[in-house]
Amino acid sequence: MINILTGIDSTSSALNAERIRMDVVSQNIANVNTTRGLNGKPYQRQQVVFEAALKDQLKAGGPPGSSATVVNVARIESANRAPRMIYQPGHADADKNGMVAMPNINIHEEMVDLMSSSRAYEANLNVVKTARSMALQTLSIGKR
Amino acid sequence: MNPLSALRTLAYPALRAESLRPPTESAAPKAIPFSELEKLSPGILPGSVDAAKPTASGFENMVSGLVTEVAAKQAAAGESVNGLLSGQNTSLHQTMIAMEEASISFQLMVEVRNKLLESYQELMRMQI
Repeated sequence: MINILTGIDSTSSALNAERIRMDVVSQNIANVNTTRGLNGKPYQRQQVVFEAALKDQLKAGGPPGSSATVVNVARIESANRAPRMIYQPGHADADKNGMVAMPNINIHEEMVDLMSSSRAYEANLNVVKTARSMALQTLSIGKR
Repeated sequence: MNPLSALRTLAYPALRAESLRPPTESAAPKAIPFSELEKLSPGILPGSVDAAKPTASGFENMVSGLVTEVAAKQAAAGESVNGLLSGQNTSLHQTMIAMEEASISFQLMVEVRNKLLESYQELMRMQI
């Protein structure tokens, strides 16, 4: 297999990982006021954990055993911070003191995460763009 | 969600390349000029013909291999687009990357063809 865009495996996996991170942020933002999560308790903030992995690519071009380091989403785990307590006596889930346990999500933090994943995605897209333009410029050697 | 599913289809094109062989062989007539050259040259340089004989098949293999690989990349890109449009687990960037790889490898093939044709025409213009 000819390797046209070299190193694109890592970039592709990073794009995927950042995409998943953005999906998780969107879940968190959507559930910022959910007092009844899947387990009956307030929704807990989800966060992704990335891990590096080797992608085997024994290709004709590279030296034997060469392998790209890709990014995988290892797991999506819940943050175990204390829930946000707000005073709202009329709420259906309020305790006897009128306090409601809201999800442990800070909307500002989520916005920062959103921006960060968007910028990381953009950076990886620029890698793709640069790899493409390098390949095209190399092909233009043959033109007159 | 499998992040590398589309890349896996890119990484093992051999099966699809086999099924694509019949249409691509018609698209690989570039070896013909070379064999014509072989027929032309025996009176001039008998020694070089014997040397060119074994490399001719290797050259033919190289060209048809290139065409087959380009066709495989095109097929993989098409499959990726189909996967995306039919709502399977293909992501947008994987499809775009597959399409871009197919496009660049096609351009590479066209460049190789241009160079071959150029050298053939140069030889045809040669005064004997």
